Amino acid sequence: MQPATPGGDQPQEQSAAAGQIQPKRGMSLVLPPWPDARSLSVHETPPPVEQDTLKQPGVRQSDQMPIYAQGQPAAYSPGLVPGQFSPPVSSPAQGMFQGPVGPQAFVPPQNPIAPVGPRPATGALPGGPGFPGMNQVPANVGSAFVGLNTNMVSEPPNIFNPHRPPVVSGAAGGGSGDRGGRGRGDGPPRPSARKKHKKKRRVPIWSRVVIGVLLLLIVALGSGYWYYEANYAHALSSIVGQQVQLAPGEQNPNAGRTGDILSGPRINILLLGSDTDEKFDGTYIAQTDIVLTIDPASSTVGMLSIPRDFYLNVPGAGMHKLDEAYGLGGVDLSRRTIEDDFGIPINYYAWIGLDGFIKVINEVGGVDVDVLHPIVDDDYPDDVGSNANDPYAVKRLYLAPGPQHLDGPTALEYVRSRHADLVGDFGRSVRQQQVLSALKTKLSNPDIFNKLSAIANDMTGYLKTDMQLPDILKLMNFARSLDVNKINKLVLGPPYSSSGTAPAGGGDAGASVVFPDCAKIIPAISQMLDLGSSAVCNIQGDTGSNNGVASTASQTTTPLSDAVSSSQSNNTSLSTTVSNASATLGSGSSDLYGVSDLLDLLLMGVFESPDALQL
Amino acid sequence: MKRKTLSWSTLLWLALVALSVQGCLGIGSKATTGKQVATGSNGQQVSVNQDVFKGKFYLTISGNLYVLSGNNTSQELVKTGNVSDPAVSPDGKWVAFIQSYKQYSDLAVVSTAGGSVRVLRSGNGKFYLNDGGFLHDTYYWYEQPLWSPDGTKILFLSDLEKEDWYTQTNEDAPMLDLQLFSVPFASPMDTPTDIAYAAYGDGGDRDPSYRPGHPDQIIYTHYTYDSVTETQQEIQLFMENPTTISAHPDTYYPGPPGGGFDPGIAITDTSSEIMEPAFSPDGSAIAYIKRGNTSMSLNVMPVPPATITQTPNDAATEKMAVQAFQTQSSLLLDQLYVEQPVWSPDGKQIAYYTYTNDTFDLWIVNVVYTAKTGKYSTQGSPIQVTSGGVDGASRPVWTN
Repeated sequence: MQPATPGGDQPQEQSAAAGQIQPKRGMSLVLPPWPDARSLSVHETPPPVEQDTLKQPGVRQSDQMPIYAQGQPAAYSPGLVPGQFSPPVSSPAQGMFQGPVGPQAFVPPQNPIAPVGPRPATGALPGGPGFPGMNQVPANVGSAFVGLNTNMVSEPPNIFNPHRPPVVSGAAGGGSGDRGGRGRGDGPPRPSARKKHKKKRRVPIWSRVVIGVLLLLIVALGSGYWYYEANYAHALSSIVGQQVQLAPGEQNPNAGRTGDILSGPRINILLLGSDTDEKFDGTYIAQTDIVLTIDPASSTVGMLSIPRDFYLNVPGAGMHKLDEAYGLGGVDLSRRTIEDDFGIPINYYAWIGLDGFIKVINEVGGVDVDVLHPIVDDDYPDDVGSNANDPYAVKRLYLAPGPQHLDGPTALEYVRSRHADLVGDFGRSVRQQQVLSALKTKLSNPDIFNKLSAIANDMTGYLKTDMQLPDILKLMNFARSLDVNKINKLVLGPPYSSSGTAPAGGGDAGASVVFPDCAKIIPAISQMLDLGSSAVCNIQGDTGSNNGVASTASQTTTPLSDAVSSSQSNNTSLSTTVSNASATLGSGSSDLYGVSDLLDLLLMGVFESPDALQL
Repeated sequence: MKRKTLSWSTLLWLALVALSVQGCLGIGSKATTGKQVATGSNGQQVSVNQDVFKGKFYLTISGNLYVLSGNNTSQELVKTGNVSDPAVSPDGKWVAFIQSYKQYSDLAVVSTAGGSVRVLRSGNGKFYLNDGGFLHDTYYWYEQPLWSPDGTKILFLSDLEKEDWYTQTNEDAPMLDLQLFSVPFASPMDTPTDIAYAAYGDGGDRDPSYRPGHPDQIIYTHYTYDSVTETQQEIQLFMENPTTISAHPDTYYPGPPGGGFDPGIAITDTSSEIMEPAFSPDGSAIAYIKRGNTSMSLNVMPVPPATITQTPNDAATEKMAVQAFQTQSSLLLDQLYVEQPVWSPDGKQIAYYTYTNDTFDLWIVNVVYTAKTGKYSTQGSPIQVTSGGVDGASRPVWTN
């Protein structure tokens, strides 16, 4: 039975002079002559190696035939019924490796079948680039193979031979050949070709395998690079490597450091957090200031939380609350304030805006949260959507209590409301922890992979650091090994400070502020950050009354849980939330890439900061 | 006769067709049971298993009001996307509910047979600057309507008196915490009657309901902070006589935590956070939700002696009022999230929302009372009624 020939798909009989390939119907491309077309021998049952011995000048693929033949000789034995195997041309990716290719071509072993009939239609294959592009495979290639005819099957040499000019000597419709239209008898056989080819094999099999693997790697890496560039490069470039200018005369804390971020001495990272709701002067403030200190040698981590209302000297700006340093001079001034006032060198910084997390919440379809109590607020900033440019717009809030699904905007309302409970920022901090913990749960879902690109873009503008991507990857890996119970946490609340009112004459006169107790702070930070005599408490503007005071007092760091319990004992909601939020830190093997642990670390620093617990 | 063999391409096309059919029919996707009744705002399909319950559930899905019927006549009553907290009138003719907007909400009703929505009270208003230049407003929230046992009044939570309590709260800010009010159904724009007061600073009251057969007793969840440090949240169930405040004008008033003077009396202590009470149909028991450190639980307690509402603000009465909770509570089930319990009309089942496949869905469980121990317990496994997600913060109603 002769399968029907797909119209226009089968190569047409070529009665022209040898070496001229008839373009396929509809194709305008004129193929170059096939130099060795008539040299093909016809074998009823040729051993695979014979295919390998065929020589075609300029066509190196002949050497590859033994790979296929040895690998699957039975699959190509003559007499196969059409349909017993499928020509691997169902996808362009497969098809692009088939047929004659140029001198630099490589035919990968995963394409053992090289149907030759339809291939000339591509036109670009003989003598073309090593990897004819996908687009070079005509749309009707697939259909051409659907109609795989018995002629092809009964010609094992041709099926195996990717170098054979497909329609050089005949076609399905009959032709000049002596085999009922196969057109194989145009040229005389060349018995000596096999021996010649054996002697002139240029590239050994192993090397071609290596080349193939390398090419595959190149393709894979190229695809990966393209995907990265298309989906992540822009977002990441706006997040990482955001350097800040050093002030004139300011020493580079990273001068002399070599190698990766964890290969040198202790590093201090300033974590700044802004919930971006105090932007009435057009600038953010940093409600949270945390110094994350890491000693790579001992693999220990400490977190120094400095109250946002610390009343201290902001270099060049006089006495202000610490949170205003960010608004007055951005990261640079925040960093210099910490460095100058406490003698803590800051190697890197990371700034996180809460709005970014809210965008992410929208991206993942919302979060499910147990709203702790009815949320009422008549003075909530209505600064999203159409009112984004109106810092004075307000709206009213009422959120019912209890477990429920919150979309991004509602989640934002839940965590930003400042008037919803008596405990002010303390209550808000608890709510933030709830939502961020729920977000982490969402992000741990494998389905999130498809949204990573969008999430990265959501974080643009809301997450910045001067660390580079390799540094962050190092920290991710480091975070996996952290034991949360061994993280030292020092909160410079009472007894390291006391509340009061800012005096007249300075910034924030009359405002509620927190006064540092230098005598207690200096020994504590000296030990925690290995500052030695570098620890200072230069908080009094130009007076510098405490400058240079140092101490070797014993460690007085306070665990977060203790700090919380001292000020908010027996608060079920708080303890529950803190517990939930930090439960996964150091989860180790369950967090393969350490992403979650790093997120935990950042969140602990920025949003679970006990300094936000001040009433 | 030669055997005709399918070509590879034919097989491929057949496979593709099979996959397409499978996708269209949902074969292999997350199983949903029952009849599809709604499509949520995020596209989720909500189905109801109508064979596992008797009567009707009134609840909201993506802000739309539905009645789910055990006799296969489920329907959507209001489709405005902003509906919550339905309440069915005692005669079964009306459903009161809330429609929420950006700055306010409306109290509205619709026939249980569907039809047009009638707004009873609107919270719409405006912002204004007071004499001190501070921004105030005349917007109001209406929440969680409740019918009086005779159907002549509608109770609701609101911040209607937010500008009235500066002296009592000692705060230079309006009292936004929601309190309980009542208006006649026939004349809903009448001046509301004060039913229950709230404490300042934690959001106010929630979940009001009448004790069946006792129109002189209501129960609600009372949110406040502790009176000593004002930092510890205390969530308790309060009972009171709904006529006490109006019967003694100028006697009772709201205030800060531990302040104020109101006729509400706590029937649960502060050892844990208790909320969302639901009376059994015979009025003998109260189902409630207890919030734990890592989970929530559904419990049942007997109703304290009716006399407690007669002598509020009395130390001995206050002590007696919590004894039933402390000694006779029955734990029915404990899960990550459990909320909004409601008894079946025959009192043999309790329906509740819980967290299933990342959505809040309606479940029911059989409950039995053992007279010998005086405790309630579950019988059999809980049964899932809906799948796909209902509105967790909006309480359901279960009627005949």
